[in-house]
Amino acid sequence: MGEDAESSKINHTFLRDYVTEADVISTVEFNQTGDLLATGDKGGRVVIFQRETESKGEAEEAGETGDSGEYNVYSTFQSHEPDFDYLKSLEIEEKINKIRWLPQQNAAHFLLSTNDKTIKLWKVSERDKRPEGYNLKDEEGRLKDISTITSLQVPVLKPTDLMVEVRPRRVFSNGHTYHVNSISVNSDGETYLSADDLRINMWHLGITDRSFNIVDIKPANMEDLTEVITAAEFHPHHCHLFVYSSSKGTLRLCDMRASALCDKHTKLFEEPEDPGNRSFFSEIISSVSDVKFSHSGRYLLTRDYLTAKVWDLNMDKGPVETYQVHEYLRSKLCSLYENDCIFDKFECVWNSSDSVIMTGAYNSFFRMFDRETGRGVTLEAWRESSKPRAVLRTRRVYTGGKRRRGDVGVDSLDFTKKILHMAWHPSENIIAIAATNNLYIFQDRVNPDTQTQ
Amino acid sequence: MLGRGVKRKWSCLADLEAEALPAEKQKNGEEGPGDEGGFHVAPSESDMSHLQQRQLVLGLCLEKLQHYQAGVELSLRRSVLLINTLRQIQEDMQSDGVETCTSETLLNDVNADSCLLRDDVREDMPVTCPGCSEGDGDDLPLSPPLSPEFPSQEANSSADQPRSLPPATISSFSDAVNAMGYLSDLALDDIFEDIDTSMYETSDLPSAWAAGSLWPISVSLWADEDVKMRPSSHASAGSLQSCLMDLNELDHIMEILVKS
Repeated sequence: MGEDAESSKINHTFLRDYVTEADVISTVEFNQTGDLLATGDKGGRVVIFQRETESKGEAEEAGETGDSGEYNVYSTFQSHEPDFDYLKSLEIEEKINKIRWLPQQNAAHFLLSTNDKTIKLWKVSERDKRPEGYNLKDEEGRLKDISTITSLQVPVLKPTDLMVEVRPRRVFSNGHTYHVNSISVNSDGETYLSADDLRINMWHLGITDRSFNIVDIKPANMEDLTEVITAAEFHPHHCHLFVYSSSKGTLRLCDMRASALCDKHTKLFEEPEDPGNRSFFSEIISSVSDVKFSHSGRYLLTRDYLTAKVWDLNMDKGPVETYQVHEYLRSKLCSLYENDCIFDKFECVWNSSDSVIMTGAYNSFFRMFDRETGRGVTLEAWRESSKPRAVLRTRRVYTGGKRRRGDVGVDSLDFTKKILHMAWHPSENIIAIAATNNLYIFQDRVNPDTQTQ
Repeated sequence: MLGRGVKRKWSCLADLEAEALPAEKQKNGEEGPGDEGGFHVAPSESDMSHLQQRQLVLGLCLEKLQHYQAGVELSLRRSVLLINTLRQIQEDMQSDGVETCTSETLLNDVNADSCLLRDDVREDMPVTCPGCSEGDGDDLPLSPPLSPEFPSQEANSSADQPRSLPPATISSFSDAVNAMGYLSDLALDDIFEDIDTSMYETSDLPSAWAAGSLWPISVSLWADEDVKMRPSSHASAGSLQSCLMDLNELDHIMEILVKS
């Protein structure tokens, strides 16, 4: 295959360090088969990549599956436009906060994309045939003069160049007063939830003028507000269960069978605070920025500023595993508070077998943790240090002890290069990492398929 | 990567600590992917005393609460986290035995302090929160208006009574007031005790205010659009205006304090 991995990166920069704000990627998501990868950016655009299948001409090694191709641009469309809230005299950003694919039911693909206020359902369909041989119209579509028609013909479908059409099918607006931070498609295939800072709504995919409010943590008196919702997700198998996280570091599991309004949680997951680590920033760094169910539905993965935690749904007293993402930043919290980095929201993801978790950090670094061994590795998404098809070398932040060549000092870290958004292929060891305006796709060629446990 | 002997002074933290950044960076020697555009953290914070850090964080907190981008909504999560931090600092101060005057709203404190800066209101006002002496949160002077939407307010810089505003505005204003109102016990006086008022008694300030109408009508820490209108608010919308503008002036103060 002549293409190299460079082609799988969308690169809008013409000069080396020139970044257009609108091109900053704000969300990344694989569909359920992993054949499609969608990215949303600050400019409201969605770019969908499709995985190329290996050309049939190439000889396949025994045992190697056919689909080890590269990802190429499949379609690009403008999902959201900048809007204006006239009542509040405030702009509504067009930035795509989240994209979620619907399970595929027919030839077309559907995805939900949302900005701060409005969720849209998009239909992505292919057209590779067109009808030819109309009786009343000519090839250009112009009406024929009836007197020239002497015989009838049956129109036939002829193959044409592939065309990808993207059309908005539903617009779910006016459901949120505050900023939407999460959307999650239910396992029932019919409903989805959307969460903003204070409320969570449940929608039916076919109904746009109504939604159910299932969580409302807005206090009667806004003065009493001390906590906001930061993320929410439906359970992967149980359509009545969902979880939401808060800015105080708590997780709440809710059962919709219990009551229509799930203000009262079924389970509250909270880790007691470590008094030794208390500082002015304790609450801010405990704020959960992302929560994800494991594929099995048994565990929860959360990310706060310094750690990633795995929780067992059966145990609410505390996480079962805690991974230090960048503990060396604990002594720098004041500076990070000053430059606002302490408010950065990192995402976290599971691999397909729930044996590895991954999350981002600064300096274009991202971290992977093997749950069995507990060991973590630091990798870098930076085109200067990685050649296409080369093996990613692990990086290390120097925090004391013996210094190795290639170690990066804490004071040399670039805090403008944040890895906030990422996705893991649903069944293979392929990851998509968003680094500002670049998308990196890494594939594990040694172990392409995840070993099932 | 800084290592060229140039000290980067982006952080007031670097100012507080005397450590030399370039020396530290050159010791590291590693050419990280950072470039001139990236920012880095100061080498160590452990040297800062608890009090120093608290003061710094308090200043930063206020600065961040004031700072906003015209026409863009503030992040509620961020605002809540900032205010919770502010509360925590206040509790810390109280536990230190710092004397605080109870005042009804943050507005009072802010207004009291900013009174020191103004040249068009009573300069003989004592430097304590008016809540102690007056006990009435509504008795506050209006400062020159900010937004062109309220031209009727312009002439009335010393009116105490609320003016009638569009309902939507009132609700969002009052909610901002309410939001900030719960910081009632915050003792801002301590920071501003040693301000030398003579510096600020110039005629330049009013023109700066007139020019800098930055606050949009409905800025609020957290807007409450669900409630159509709150007929009774803790404080007048007008005093909120002055509060908002005073916070703007606080920005100036903080910059000066921090840089001195």
